[in-house]
Amino acid sequence: MPAIEIESLGKLYGDVTAISDLSLSIADGELFGLLGPNGAGKTTTMEILTGQIVPESGRVAVLDVDPTTRPTAVRETVGILPEKESPPSFMTPREYFDFVGAVRGMPDETVTERTESWAERLGFRAKLDTLSSDLSRGQQQKVMIAAAFFHEPAVVFIDEPLANLDPIVQERVKRFLLSYQAAGNTIVVTTHDVDVAAELCSRVGIMYGSDLVADVRPSELDAGVSLLDVFLDHVDASVDDDKPLASHE
Amino acid sequence: MSDGRTRRVFVEMLREEWRLHSRLFRGSHFSMFPVLICLLVAGAAKLLAVTGTAPETVFAGLHALVFVFGLHTGSIGFVGRDALRNLIGDVTLLVFSARTLPLSQRKLLGLFVVKDGLYYAVLFLLPFALGTVLAVTGLGNPAFAAKTVSLLWITLTLTFVLGMGTTIAALGLAGRGVPGLALLAVPVVAIATAVVAGLNLPAYTPYGLFLEPTLPRVGATGVCLLGVFVVGAATFDATAPTPARTVEPAFRRWWRRVGDPVAAKSLLDIHRSAGGFGKVLFSAAVLFGVTAALVDFAGQITGVRPSPGISFGAILGLSGFTTYNWLTQSDDVDLYFAHPLAVKAVFAGKFRAFLLLGPLVGLVFYGLALAWRGGPRIEAAVGAVLLVGVACYIFGTTVYLTGLSPNEFLFDTALFAVFGAALVVPLVPILIIGFAISPVSGPLLAALGGFGGVLAIVGVTLYRRSLPKWSKRYQQA
Repeated sequence: MPAIEIESLGKLYGDVTAISDLSLSIADGELFGLLGPNGAGKTTTMEILTGQIVPESGRVAVLDVDPTTRPTAVRETVGILPEKESPPSFMTPREYFDFVGAVRGMPDETVTERTESWAERLGFRAKLDTLSSDLSRGQQQKVMIAAAFFHEPAVVFIDEPLANLDPIVQERVKRFLLSYQAAGNTIVVTTHDVDVAAELCSRVGIMYGSDLVADVRPSELDAGVSLLDVFLDHVDASVDDDKPLASHE
Repeated sequence: MSDGRTRRVFVEMLREEWRLHSRLFRGSHFSMFPVLICLLVAGAAKLLAVTGTAPETVFAGLHALVFVFGLHTGSIGFVGRDALRNLIGDVTLLVFSARTLPLSQRKLLGLFVVKDGLYYAVLFLLPFALGTVLAVTGLGNPAFAAKTVSLLWITLTLTFVLGMGTTIAALGLAGRGVPGLALLAVPVVAIATAVVAGLNLPAYTPYGLFLEPTLPRVGATGVCLLGVFVVGAATFDATAPTPARTVEPAFRRWWRRVGDPVAAKSLLDIHRSAGGFGKVLFSAAVLFGVTAALVDFAGQITGVRPSPGISFGAILGLSGFTTYNWLTQSDDVDLYFAHPLAVKAVFAGKFRAFLLLGPLVGLVFYGLALAWRGGPRIEAAVGAVLLVGVACYIFGTTVYLTGLSPNEFLFDTALFAVFGAALVVPLVPILIIGFAISPVSGPLLAALGGFGGVLAIVGVTLYRRSLPKWSKRYQQA
């Protein structure tokens, strides 16, 4: 049984088509990347899969549950890292994890133990009792990553997971994602960073103009062909390489 | 900064203010706002005039209101970024650009104040002046009315600028540690001493200029304004980083006591945001003061001693609106839906927090009112039922109309009108009885108590009935 199934999905925002006739199946245990430029429909797809918005047409299932009719049931099972969200301003990271644990019905001991281990893993132990509004964007992102994985879900949706993180933490997060997948879990990453998709994902769907225009496995690409080449083949990205951005003459 | 650049920054700041308000007020609705303000102010001023309030009192009250408005506007611009972000997303104002662009911080601050003064003078204070003068003095003598409007507009603008300047100076001093706080105490003590000594303080403010537009008073107002802006310019640093605040973990304890994670989070938000629970008490205290004044007014007009229980109970129930506002002000609604929380569960948490805070605060002030004004015990009991009933009704109506964003009322004139009508319908009959009938008979008290219960049921029903609508709305955003 695939972890995620999407059939003929369509979503409009007023007159603007965000997703058009998208069909996709993601197998259990895949680290799947949704790659595309800004406005391609990646975040909208993720929001539909996690029951945060409803589509106009099509059918979706996450672990055999329809998020459009049972959004809370899906969110009980999966983990979500939304792109633009930060932890509540007037809660500390420790309190936010307590909140996540309370909402998910986790025992106090487990919450305390996982709070400590995530703070250690991502290096924010010193900030555990600082109000979130006073954390840097990078620290807030670390807290949101930890919250997404806090209940050790079988399926995780993460939107631009490495944004705002320093290179050391980026490496830690990448390693963690690969180990999490290796343990048999499914991860869906949305990103516009081709390098991140190429390095992390076992399979990549390229979205452009609200459609899925390519579905590739980076490890199976022909020698000399990179994911960037495939991406540029499918995306209208005419770049004049020879023209300098500024001249000092 | 050259003059060309100064002009450009000023124009861009004005454009920024317009776009900020257009975004808040949903575009075209905003253009009607000055007309609405003029009508509301004219209505209130007329009501005060009809009930025998002296014109000087109306004008004094208006200056006081505008001073508070100026204080508030200054604080929103500089310290209310969290609240703005929750309403319209990430906000960075041009006044903060000194950190990234070659612009002088002092000049930016000065331009910000001039821009706000000009912007609010045209869109808010002119309608204030026009509405008040037309209602209080009428158009019998057009030349006199025009002169009064002009003078009032100028002094209101100066009052507004004085309010903004006071905020900037106070924030500047407060940001300078203990010496700054000690300096801040100096004018506070000086003003208190002047009041005790019987000095005519308003003479040194723009209101004094309105009462007596003479050269000495122009000078006094100028010195007053110059004083606050010199202190503000010398001490305020808009780009200074604020120290990170560390707190003892409290969520788990609060959650255990309250029994709902959303309710515990909402109460923590109030506790830790600027003003803490004090702001909830302050809102109720303002309503308490207004009710006391209304009760006195009503007594003078009708010649009957109003029922403290019925009148205070019904009006203090209105504090439920501000309480719900505080409970939702720090929310980022989307974040709730990144967790396994149904819309229904979020509202249930809000309702629980509301019940713990709203009626309780109302009842504290209600107790004070009864201790102060007395009244029969049975009326006191019925007033308490009315307070809880009105508070629940306000909660239900607000949730029904605006969901988790009660600020919508401030930004949508039509919605505000519907809300106003929904309040007037049940409250007016109660207040007529409370203000004009004494003593209230037993059957009437029983009917009022029953009505309080009905209002509570209507409120809870409205809130529950709106849940499918909000579930759908939040999922289709």
